[in-house]
Amino acid sequence: MSAMTWIFWRQYRAQAAIAGTLLAALAALLVITGVQVASQWHSALAACTASHSCGNLSSTLFLGSHAVGFLVIMTLGVPAVVGMLLGAPLLAQEFEAGTSQFAWTQSITRRRWLAAKAGWLLLAAAAVGGVVSGLVTWWSGPDNALQANAFDPGRFDIMGIAPVGYAVFAAALGITAGALLRRTLPAIGLTLAGFIAIRSVIYILVRPHFLTPVTSYFPLGSGFSPAGSGWQLASGFVGASGQPISTPQSTSGQVISGPGVSIPVSSLPAPCQAAAGNGPFTRATYHAVVSCAQAHGIRGYVTYQPASRYWAFQGIETGIFVLLAAVLIAVTFVVISRRDA
Amino acid sequence: MTWLVWRQYRLQAAAAAVLLAGFAAVMVVSGLQMASQWHSMLGSCTSGGGQSSCAEMPLGNAIGHDFEVLSVIVPAILGIFLGAPLVASEIENGTNQYAWTQTVTRTRWLTIKAGWLLLAAAVWGGAVAALVTWWSGPRNALYGDAFQPNYFDVQGIVPVGYAVFATSLGIAAGALLRRTVAAIAVVLGVFIGLRLVIDDLVRQHFMPAVTSYMGFLSTPGTLARSWVLATGIAGPNGRPLPQNPGGGDTFNGVPVASLPHACQELITQVSRQATIAGDRCLDAAGYRLYDTYQPANRYWAFQGIETGVFVALAAVLLAVTYTVVRRRDA
Repeated sequence: MSAMTWIFWRQYRAQAAIAGTLLAALAALLVITGVQVASQWHSALAACTASHSCGNLSSTLFLGSHAVGFLVIMTLGVPAVVGMLLGAPLLAQEFEAGTSQFAWTQSITRRRWLAAKAGWLLLAAAAVGGVVSGLVTWWSGPDNALQANAFDPGRFDIMGIAPVGYAVFAAALGITAGALLRRTLPAIGLTLAGFIAIRSVIYILVRPHFLTPVTSYFPLGSGFSPAGSGWQLASGFVGASGQPISTPQSTSGQVISGPGVSIPVSSLPAPCQAAAGNGPFTRATYHAVVSCAQAHGIRGYVTYQPASRYWAFQGIETGIFVLLAAVLIAVTFVVISRRDA
Repeated sequence: MTWLVWRQYRLQAAAAAVLLAGFAAVMVVSGLQMASQWHSMLGSCTSGGGQSSCAEMPLGNAIGHDFEVLSVIVPAILGIFLGAPLVASEIENGTNQYAWTQTVTRTRWLTIKAGWLLLAAAVWGGAVAALVTWWSGPRNALYGDAFQPNYFDVQGIVPVGYAVFATSLGIAAGALLRRTVAAIAVVLGVFIGLRLVIDDLVRQHFMPAVTSYMGFLSTPGTLARSWVLATGIAGPNGRPLPQNPGGGDTFNGVPVASLPHACQELITQVSRQATIAGDRCLDAAGYRLYDTYQPANRYWAFQGIETGVFVALAAVLLAVTYTVVRRRDA
């Protein structure tokens, strides 16, 4: 074991012991309840196949318990905690305690000192993120099959490889904040705020555009939902030249509904509104309105990211955060090499 | 002493004020939009299909909703940044040795520091809660879910109790552990753990829940705004029948197989006549539907109890801190 590795271990063995204990407790809880969820899922599948009622299983079956389900959602915060409690103090606490002055006047160069400390910490962050995500991904298997929502924001963020990227990024952000601010508490604050801000910007504004979304059209009165765990981004109605038609949500008049979507008659061209007549639809007026709208080229649309792109999106998201982490680490190297001892 | 606290914390105070102003700006803009959307909806959807057709409509924009959800972590942040360093960072820097050898006694030193910071935490937590409560007004009216977990926790007066508790927890952890980062970890772990336990296990028992029974053919009474804890079917002896969360053939959550044989066939048919006949059959056999719930008019009582629990815990933590600080060698 090299001298720096030994120092890192001496400085962080208490944290390592606590993190190991917490991970073991989480693993025990998720493995025990995960086996229960899997058997609940298999017996429900068998029961509904026998009675041919699997179609509405997603609305009648609740897998697991609320408390464990909530704990699984809370793993969303694990990368932030890693960045705040492990990343931010890495350099800031050395500056605060003055121990950096001692370390920097030994035979080991600052670069090697930083490379060893940051390297081990980033590795530990990736391991924590990976173990938690692995457990959550396995635990959520039946729920993903039942709800088909693994691609949705919030679920996407706690499974697969993305949490590894978040953890590495959060740790790097903490290290950089500590190097720049030299104070632990402000570095923790910057880590928390920066992590939440960048994660929000990416998931709200950037992620929907990683790959060009697919748009499917369907005739009035029917509907469309993406196959499997697709991620639906938008839906609505367009006219013949593709111009969007506004569909006010609050209308008291007649409405042409399909599964999940509806368009009020008052949004249709005047001739179609005339065909609807007054009062509730009869079968004849309904068909007249629908064929009139179709003759005007009006159709519904759903814009979505297909389920087959799930792993491509996981890869892109992870790549972005690992890249951001690399930039932050490069900044830290520059700051540390220029700093007066 | 008050001047000293201000000098030590003016940077944090400025940062907190800027963050609060940003939060307020987003919530006020989003809240005004939502209120006007709500008023235009009220005009049209109530005249069309009644209140029920409104309840399926989305209300409010995504950013306002994200901020509402995020506000649940505000007390933890106050505990981390105001509470944990209060004693711990003084001990880490050795400044407590200077402070404790002046004319001001340790008790007075702690009282004034902790007093001002707890006040600041309560005001900050209260301001965020007031904004979220005002923002949620139309949603509470539309969905009637202010009593449900997660909504209950960010509105009214409970966030003030959480803020005072989390800050006291940070102060006590810092005094005991003498290390800021360790105290921060304790705040995160204990605050989240305790909130989960009270939220999931304790809150529903603050007052005995009300159970109301009704026949299968009666029009269901409305439990709007109440916190429904359980619903299902009670047998002729008045006891709830065990439910089957595993899917399969169920009727109001109860496996069809545990209902009387004579009624089973009627229940599983889909025609309207058979459904009514099935309801009659169960009625005649003495089965009843039940709802177990906390009535809506207990909302403020529950807010008061929950706040009281957390303020009492905060008082205990502060008492511990006084003992620790008094006995500690300078």
